Amino acid sequence: MAVKKRKKDLHFFERIYLVEIIKGLLLTLKHLFKPKFTLQYPEEKIEQAPSYRGRPVLVMDNGKERCVACGLCSRVCPALAIQVQASETEDEKERYPVLFEINMLRCIFCGFCEEVCPEEAIVMSKDYELVFTRYDDAIFGKDKLLVPVEKLKDRLEFVRTQMRK
Amino acid sequence: MAELKTDHLVLNMGPQHPSTHGVLRLEVVLDGEVVIDVIPHIGYLHRCFEKHCEAMTYPMVIPYTDRMDYLASMYMNFGYVEAVEKLMNIEIPERVKYIRVIMGELQRIASHLVAIGTFGIDIGAFTPFLYCFRDRERILDLFEMTCGARLLYNYMWIGGLSHDLPPMFIPELKSFLKDFRKNIKELNDLLSYNKIFIERTANIGILPADTAINYGCTGPVLRGSGVNWDLRKNDPYSIYDRFDFEVCVGKGEIGTVGDCWNRYMVRVREMEQSCLIIEQAIEQLPEGDVTSAIPKRVKPPVGEIYFRVESPKGELGYHIISDGTVNPFRVKVRAPSFVNLQILPVISKGYLVADIIANLGSLDIVLGEIDR
Repeated sequence: MAVKKRKKDLHFFERIYLVEIIKGLLLTLKHLFKPKFTLQYPEEKIEQAPSYRGRPVLVMDNGKERCVACGLCSRVCPALAIQVQASETEDEKERYPVLFEINMLRCIFCGFCEEVCPEEAIVMSKDYELVFTRYDDAIFGKDKLLVPVEKLKDRLEFVRTQMRK
Repeated sequence: MAELKTDHLVLNMGPQHPSTHGVLRLEVVLDGEVVIDVIPHIGYLHRCFEKHCEAMTYPMVIPYTDRMDYLASMYMNFGYVEAVEKLMNIEIPERVKYIRVIMGELQRIASHLVAIGTFGIDIGAFTPFLYCFRDRERILDLFEMTCGARLLYNYMWIGGLSHDLPPMFIPELKSFLKDFRKNIKELNDLLSYNKIFIERTANIGILPADTAINYGCTGPVLRGSGVNWDLRKNDPYSIYDRFDFEVCVGKGEIGTVGDCWNRYMVRVREMEQSCLIIEQAIEQLPEGDVTSAIPKRVKPPVGEIYFRVESPKGELGYHIISDGTVNPFRVKVRAPSFVNLQILPVISKGYLVADIIANLGSLDIVLGEIDR
């Protein structure tokens, strides 16, 4: 099969490409003196807005979870990442989760669990650095999920004012 | 001495080749360095999207549509939610329509920036890629500020949006558009009219208009061949008929109409047009509640719908069949990249091995969308 011929319409100076390379290098040189747009990541970090969807956490109020184990979050989860087992308690809310597990390998950070929760008990935090070395480490139980309410103030405020509740 | 025989060489390009834009395997039949045939093998990223939808409720599909064309998630959401809304006859608030268009056009710019940047890398120009990603980063910052994620947004919901724009969004967007116009000019100087770049892309992979139509190509691939076809103009959906913009087609001022350079240039010009649309949308943006029309229970009546939008890659169509329950009976997606990829063997025949890279880059495929 014959090679399809390219059109050669460049004269000698264009063909040595030196002019084009120098033009490119000049632009790079210009940008050398402009402000940087990169961050030195582990040392510098981006400040997240309250709308940021990091890993889902359970809100801890007065040392106890707000969750009443209704199971809506596990029902609405598209990735089937949440497992809840309910039990009864003497407290005012009457029910609490004995077991609350989120499989962080399955979680897709969509935020449906937070949107559907009637108690504002599960919210998306700003935590995005999730590293595991074993599969078992990726299944977060209540010990890893419970976060005091003071740390989640701006997100709770955001959910209450901005989202359909 | 017995005569030496020659034979064709079969070369495997991919699935781990950096210029195949994902896990795509190309079986290339070569005669020396001349390409005789290219056979694309797909399916490495298959995740059963369409079958999966049948087991989920309508809103739960939205995060999965994000993951099809992960470089244009906003537009994937856009097509799906508009399709379901049409099926359910929901009238959405004006503000929602405008925000959707702004987000969609921003996403188009971001997607084209990746297409242009990676096309440059394929050809051998590394620097433009960095400048493209700098601008894309600002768009992603805007998205993060609005919906909380940088890549997989889940922002458009059936009947509205998950929440309203933050107060800082409009000023930041305006300053971005101001800077971005200058950056397009810089990109043109650096890449578009660069002699080395032109040498590699002009008159390569010429796709005649009739072949493009016969193969069902859409988007910049079709428009690069000089066909004036854009669903935003030809079959206006949402509120695109309210904006004044022009459809960019390959004009062939360098090379031939339908070659790699013209397909590339259509994308550059489309970014400028998207800026125009966004500016008009900001001016007309009405006040209002964005969550008021979200239904409590998404349960469309029995029926089916085919709804198409012009995604950054081409015509994205959703065919949804409802049997009256909360789960869709069937969701079929017409993915533009899937259709555009089949043109690759046609335009690569007779060119050199190195030109396959240029052809593939100019088609701008996303494997997440092809395999679904």
